[in-house]
Amino acid sequence: MTVITVKNLTISYNKKPAIKGINLEVDEGSIIGILGPNGAGKSTLIKGILGLLPSETGEIKIYGKPVKESLKRIAYIPQKEQFDWDFPINVSEVVMMGRYPYISLFGRPDENDKLIVKEVLEKVEMSDNQFTQIRNLSGGQQQRIFLARALAQESDIYLLDEPFVGVDAKTEKAIFELIKELKEKNKTILIVHHDLSKVKEYFDKVILINQTLVAFGDTDKAFTPELINKAYGGRLTILQKAEQLFKS
Amino acid sequence: MADTIYKFLVEPLQYEFIQRALVASIMVGISCGLIGTYIMLRRLSLIGDALAHSVLPGVVIGFMISGKNPISLFAGALTAGILTSILISYVERNSKIKEDTSIGIIFTGAFALGILLVSQLKQVHIDLSSYLFGDVLGVSDSDLILSSVITVFILISVILFYKQLLVTSFDPTMAYIIGISTSLVHYFLMTLLSMSIVAGLQSVGVILIIAMLITPPATAFLLTDKLKTMLFLSVMFGIISSVTGLYFSYHFNFASGASIVLTAVLFFAAAFLFSPKEGIVHKYFRRKRNSSLNLTEDILKYLFNAEEKSTGGNAVTDLSVELSLLESKITSALKKIESKGLIKNEKGNYKLTDTGTDLALKLVRSHRLWETYLTEKNIIDMDNIHQDAEKYEHILSDDLISEIEEELGHPQKDPHGSPIPKKK
Repeated sequence: MTVITVKNLTISYNKKPAIKGINLEVDEGSIIGILGPNGAGKSTLIKGILGLLPSETGEIKIYGKPVKESLKRIAYIPQKEQFDWDFPINVSEVVMMGRYPYISLFGRPDENDKLIVKEVLEKVEMSDNQFTQIRNLSGGQQQRIFLARALAQESDIYLLDEPFVGVDAKTEKAIFELIKELKEKNKTILIVHHDLSKVKEYFDKVILINQTLVAFGDTDKAFTPELINKAYGGRLTILQKAEQLFKS
Repeated sequence: MADTIYKFLVEPLQYEFIQRALVASIMVGISCGLIGTYIMLRRLSLIGDALAHSVLPGVVIGFMISGKNPISLFAGALTAGILTSILISYVERNSKIKEDTSIGIIFTGAFALGILLVSQLKQVHIDLSSYLFGDVLGVSDSDLILSSVITVFILISVILFYKQLLVTSFDPTMAYIIGISTSLVHYFLMTLLSMSIVAGLQSVGVILIIAMLITPPATAFLLTDKLKTMLFLSVMFGIISSVTGLYFSYHFNFASGASIVLTAVLFFAAAFLFSPKEGIVHKYFRRKRNSSLNLTEDILKYLFNAEEKSTGGNAVTDLSVELSLLESKITSALKKIESKGLIKNEKGNYKLTDTGTDLALKLVRSHRLWETYLTEKNIIDMDNIHQDAEKYEHILSDDLISEIEEELGHPQKDPHGSPIPKKK
C-alpha cells in the first residue's frame, strides 16, 4: 500500500531551489534512508512532505489524502539544534506531548496516557531520568526521549532527521532496534542519514538526492557506487570511496 | 522596632486609596508574572515592549470615541495591541525587513502617534505622565475592577490552555503536526499580553511595564527547571516587587513604576548572584571547593604511594611536576593539610599521620578498584584508563566502592599490579 506520494515537489529558499521536481511513492512497512551531500535538500524534503515549508510546485498525499488531513498519523523528530534545551521541561513532560493528539482541548493526561509514557520510557531505557530537565541529558539520551515521544504518538509514519548525530554507539544500536520493531508493525520510517557505512545494514530502500532525485529504490539497486557518485557529484571523500570499495 | 514596622506596613492600609493600590499591585504581579513567563520563554520580550508602547494611541483614541471610562481604555488598548502584533508580522513576512527592525519601526511610530494625539486633542484630558510612568496611588475603583477581571481571565486561560501554550512554546513544529494552530495560539497570547499591559498601565506605566513582564520570570527561570514552579515563582516575585514598590512610592514619594521595577531588578540580581544552581557566586565557590578537595586527595595519595614504594624525593617538587601546579601552591596546600592533622612535617619530609593514612588508604582503595572496574568491563582501553579513573574516584561513595568490589569478586591487585587495600 502506498503511504506517501510526492509529485513534482519543488521548494525554494529566496528563489533558489533547494529541491526540484521530486517524485516518490513510498510503500508501507519499510525503512527508507534519505542520503545526499550537505545542502542536498535532505531535511528540506522531509519538511516538504510535512508541509512545513511552502512548495512552489507539487502535490503531497499521505494515505491518498492531502497532508493537512493526515498530519496526525505522522511523528517527526527534527534535528536537535531545533530545541531550546534550557526550556523548563523534564523528560516525561516532553514524552507526554506525544499523547496530546489524544487529549481533548481542555483535558489533562489520564491514567492510560501516563501508562503509555511510562512504557515508552522503559523501552528507550530512560525511566530513571523521567524527572530530569532535558539540558542535563547526554546527546544519546536527548535523542532517546524524542524517539520515545514519537513512539507515544502511536503514529503510522515516522520522519527522523539525523537521529544518530551526536549519539553513542550503544544508543544508535538501541534506537535502530526500536525502528526495526516499528517496521515489523508495518509502520513506515524515513530517516535522513549521512553515514554511508551503515546504509546496507539499515535501510530497505534509499532515496539518493542532490536537489533533484538521483535514485530511489531498493538499497542494493539504488545504493551503487555510480549512483552514489552521481549524488555526491564527485564530492565523496577518498575515505568514503575507499570504504565503498572495501564493501563492494 | 515592631512599632516602626507597623507604621511602615500596616498604617498606610487605613487609607482606601492604599487598599486599592495594594490590590492593583497584586493583580499586576499575577497577570504580568503569568503572561511574562511565556513571553520570555518564546523570546518575545521585544514584542512585549512594542505592544506596551503602542497601547498609548489605542487608549487615547478609545477615550476620544467614548469618553474616559475603563471600557474604552480596555477596548482601545486591546485593539492597538493586537493590531500592532499583526502589523509587525505582516511587515516582516512581506519584505526583506527582519523582525527586530519591524518591531522598532511600528512601535515607535505608534507611540509617537499616541503622544501627538495627547498633545493635540484638548477635549479629552489625559494625564500623560501617569500612563507613561505609572501612578499606583491614583488607581480608581473602576481601574481596579478592570484589572481584577483581566487577571482572572488570564489565570483561567493559562490553566485551561496549559497544553497548547506549552507545546507551541517548546516545539512549534510538533504543535503544527498534531493540529494546534501556532498562529492562533500566538495571537491569543498577544491578546492576553495586551490585557496584562492594560492591567499594569495604571501602576507601572507603558514605558516600564515590559520589566514586569520579563524580570520576574527571568528571576524565576534562574531558580527552577520546572514550568509550573517558574509560573508560581514569577507571580510571587511580581507581587512582592509591586507591593514593595507601592510602599516606597507612598512613604518616600518615589515614582511608583520606577520603584516597582527596581525592586524586581534587585530580586533578579540576587538570583543571578546567589541562585543555588545557577548563581555565579555559588558556581565560583563550588569550583574552588572541589579543586581544593581534589588537591588534598591527590596529595594524600601521592604521599601514600611514596611511602608504599619508599621512593620519596622532595615532595614539593615532585607534586608540583605531577599535578602541574606551582610549588608555592603545593606548599600552601601541604600546610593546610598539616593543620588538619592529616600529615606531619618531619625535617622537611612530609609523612602521613595515622588519620592521614586511613584517609589515603580509602582513596587509594577507591582509585584502584575503580580502575580495575573500568578495565574489567572494557569501558575504555588501558592507555587512557588512568586519567579517566582519576576523574570519577573523587565522587564515588563508600557504598558504590563496596558494590564494585563485590561485583569484581574482591580482587587483590589493580590492572597495574598494585595491591588494592581492604576496607577497614
